[in-house]
Amino acid sequence: MFGYVTPLVGELKVKEFQKFKSGYCGLCHAMGKNCGLKARFFLNYDFTFLAMLLDREACLHADSMCRCIASPFRRRRVCAVTPGFEIAADASVILSFWKLKDTILDEVWFRRLKARVLSLLLRPAYQRAAKRLADFDCVVRQCLAELHTLEQEHCPSLDRTADTFAKLLQAAGAQLHMQEEKRPVEQILYHVGRWIYLADAYDDLKEDFKRKRYNPLIARFGLKEPELAQGDRHLLEATMRHSLNLAASAYSLLTTGRWSEILDNILYLSLPNANLRVLSGEAIQWKQIEQKNRRMIYE
Amino acid sequence: MNDPYGILGISSNASDEEVKRAYRELARKYHPDNYQNNPLADLAEEKMKEINEAYDAIMRMRNGGSHTGSAGASSGGYNSGYQGYTGNSAGGSVIYAQVRAAINRGDLQQAESLLNQAPARTAEWHFLMGSIAYRKGWLDEARQQYQMACNMEPGNMEYRQALAYMQGGGQAYRPTGYDMGGGMGAADCCASMLCLNCLCGGRGC
Repeated sequence: MFGYVTPLVGELKVKEFQKFKSGYCGLCHAMGKNCGLKARFFLNYDFTFLAMLLDREACLHADSMCRCIASPFRRRRVCAVTPGFEIAADASVILSFWKLKDTILDEVWFRRLKARVLSLLLRPAYQRAAKRLADFDCVVRQCLAELHTLEQEHCPSLDRTADTFAKLLQAAGAQLHMQEEKRPVEQILYHVGRWIYLADAYDDLKEDFKRKRYNPLIARFGLKEPELAQGDRHLLEATMRHSLNLAASAYSLLTTGRWSEILDNILYLSLPNANLRVLSGEAIQWKQIEQKNRRMIYE
Repeated sequence: MNDPYGILGISSNASDEEVKRAYRELARKYHPDNYQNNPLADLAEEKMKEINEAYDAIMRMRNGGSHTGSAGASSGGYNSGYQGYTGNSAGGSVIYAQVRAAINRGDLQQAESLLNQAPARTAEWHFLMGSIAYRKGWLDEARQQYQMACNMEPGNMEYRQALAYMQGGGQAYRPTGYDMGGGMGAADCCASMLCLNCLCGGRGC
């Protein structure tokens, strides 16, 4: 998970923006409650999106005002924690933990060291989360192992590697109890997952090329230089936009809920917008757009 | 049946015009064009049926029971548009018809194993392989297979339409006010898809 999925803040109403922040804080509190203090440092916006998507049940509790270590003096609005948020909190911890484990396998020594220290810190939290979501933990572990094998084989199929990553996110949707909402939510997570994977591959293109590491785009298009040709870039843009369209179509089938305005913004506006801007060459990387968004949210 | 006004998301004292507008917006949302060969097409179809019934019920109540025309029929028969393939494998073998049936049932595994037994890799073989890939969410693979089908049989409208759909990046409903401002956006792509649709004589060709 990379923190790519944020709303387009400039297009949110003030009250929706405050609501988004209360959701962000709510997930942080849920992570603390379920998995302990250390887990809370692994919070990010992708997980917040996951929590809002999984929060399908009607919520009767009001928001509360709380202090926390990030804001010890001023009280912040925190949304009521529902079962959807608790699932998202556990799933976030599990994903973060296995992402660190993956880094330990792939990276250069100093990043490996950092990941090792962090994974030791996160371990107790992970164990608590994995006890509750044992089957999800199992899927994540399998998918990441499969992804690792595909990377070692330098798999030339864009879809196959992206599919493995997308399935991993999709599995979080399988935790939902509401049957009629489960299939659309799984489809959304699959295609947002596919999009995240490809966005990350595009962002890492130059670095992977320099270090001769596997990158699905290099393998798929047989790149001889760290740059996509115009035609290939169009192909990538279309296939990524298609995933966002399929996610949006699936989202249209869900009933409205507590987070509808924010999810509308993310799926109908923010992600397609980012897709267009990066692949038309206006912005260089998704990371830049997301960083700007993040700053706006934080201020 | 649930409250028909609730289904359309309006209050019971909405004007006829508002009822119509709400119905049209929802019909746009669940339109079969947004769910072509989509694994969730059945859910969209259910939703469409629900709003059609709600609209009919409201119109019946307002006209004192004299409204007979169904919304589904008056809006161009959306209901029939969700079926994936209507099995127009003209000259195709029995296997391809079975594969189409399996895809429509959502049984991708069987469709794939049937295809692997097929004696030759014809244009239709690639087209169906592409359709299976599409259902799985393997969009790049689907595009490549459609491309191969088109290369082998350039005159086939079904294959060409499928390829054009992939090149356009698909389509989805966006509420009014959420269309992306500026740049070459969804508008161009939608317009070209519409034209293409007209050329091909609508759905299910």
